[in-house]
Amino acid sequence: MLKREFRINFRSFCIWLFILVGIFALVYLMYPSITNSENSEMLNEVLKAFPEDLLVAFNMDITDISDSFGWLKSEGYIFILLITGAYAAIMGANIALKEESDMTIEYLYSLPISRNKILTNKIICGLTYVILLVFCIGVFNLICLFLSGTFDIKVFLLLSIAPIFTSIVTFLLCLFLSTFTHKTKNMLGISLGIVFISYFLQIVSNIAEQFEFLKYLSIFTLADTRNIILNGTINSIIIIISVIISLVLLICTYINYNRKELI
Amino acid sequence: MLKIEGLTKYYGKTLGVKDLSLELKKGEVFGFIGPNGAGKSTTIRSIMNLINKNAGKVYIDGEEFTKKNYKLKEKIGYLPSEIHLYEDMKVKELFNLHAKFYKKDTLKRRRELVKLLNVRENIKISKLSLGNKKKVAMVLALMHDPELLILDEPTSGLDPVVQHTFYMLVADLKKRGTTILYSSHILPEIERLCDRVGIIKDGALINVEKIKDLKSKNLSYVSVYSKSIIDIANELELNEYMVDQNMLRFKVTGNYDNLIKVISKYKIDKILIEEANLEELFLHYYE
Repeated sequence: MLKREFRINFRSFCIWLFILVGIFALVYLMYPSITNSENSEMLNEVLKAFPEDLLVAFNMDITDISDSFGWLKSEGYIFILLITGAYAAIMGANIALKEESDMTIEYLYSLPISRNKILTNKIICGLTYVILLVFCIGVFNLICLFLSGTFDIKVFLLLSIAPIFTSIVTFLLCLFLSTFTHKTKNMLGISLGIVFISYFLQIVSNIAEQFEFLKYLSIFTLADTRNIILNGTINSIIIIISVIISLVLLICTYINYNRKELI
Repeated sequence: MLKIEGLTKYYGKTLGVKDLSLELKKGEVFGFIGPNGAGKSTTIRSIMNLINKNAGKVYIDGEEFTKKNYKLKEKIGYLPSEIHLYEDMKVKELFNLHAKFYKKDTLKRRRELVKLLNVRENIKISKLSLGNKKKVAMVLALMHDPELLILDEPTSGLDPVVQHTFYMLVADLKKRGTTILYSSHILPEIERLCDRVGIIKDGALINVEKIKDLKSKNLSYVSVYSKSIIDIANELELNEYMVDQNMLRFKVTGNYDNLIKVISKYKIDKILIEEANLEELFLHYYE
């Protein structure tokens, strides 16, 4: 059963990985010509014209985007968070619910296998692909950065690990929500909405001090970007919170999945 | 083999099944009949733990069958009314996957069933017609040689040839001692295959009878062809009858003496007395 789960989700994983690697490959190929000495001055002039709050929102106030690693720390990292987040959200929303949407669940439930085992197989598969996507883009970035110049390996590794927290929580949150509905089309909008609203809340909380509290509503707070770039560490409280949220979501998902009845 | 005690299921405030109790003996073929929406599928889905019961218990071989006691499903074969299988797989791949869930060797029985039902194994499920998908589902329900077989509208979507093969298959399973819960609204097939029949209406099991007892209720349909049919109808004091030109058609239960005495007074062109089939019995007693 687990083997089948991996097989049926492999194609979508490859597509998402191809998109993510494609975007980054393009940037790494084009970035040196964008940031040559002539354009670099122009770029700095443009950035000076940007409002301070906007630079903060994209971490451009604490990074120098004149090289590839600088770009990765600001915009590149946002891409990774958003794309891996969207993949995790869709995966979480679909992985268990698809059986119901395709109505194959009646066959599956007639087999001598517990619902816990069915769900566990799906969670193992989903989490593996989500972590693998983060890992693969991390390895790709590492290779490209080695080829393009010097960079702070510790900050890079921490930045590469951090999306795992947001992706896992996003995956588990969407999986949990999917246990309340029967159709995948109901969940697609909700799951992507969670990712993009989370990102929006994160931006707003960074820009306006009076809305700083909104960061507590955003999954992306768990990525702890600014702290990694500024101090080269991940706040251990963030890790503990991520683990607690994940465990609570996991337990609630198992409880609800076992109670759920077919329509 | 299968015992249901006080099964009750509500969908919100809407009644699905109320206080349904039933017991199937080992090797028995039990017909479960009732009009659409009467609660047949709700009962079956509750037995299979696909939906949550509001009250009641289900026992298989004396052991309570709950979601947690999923290993009991090794004894059950289930054929749902609507077939939805993994469309991305080939038939043989699905059979192989299915076999992995059971401890026993399923290969021999699978081969027998594939041959009997003429199932093509080397084809994608998405390419199969509805009838062929049903045949695949039948192999899946039977290849692990279940002790209890639950069939929900098994012949819907099958062509007459496959239907006939299926009836032979059920008869063979009966000989092998398989207990079968056979839900259907096609009464002739219940009459043909089942030992007992349970009649469900508005969520309640209104009666359980042996097929032969139901048939011995001696309901017949009489068709009399005569120019005096109105007089005959009046003299027989019929409440329900049908008139078509010179033909009078009515039901008789048991007492034929009075009928013979009355019609002997008139000139009769033709008379036909037909024994009611199960469908007619069902309509007569329970509608």
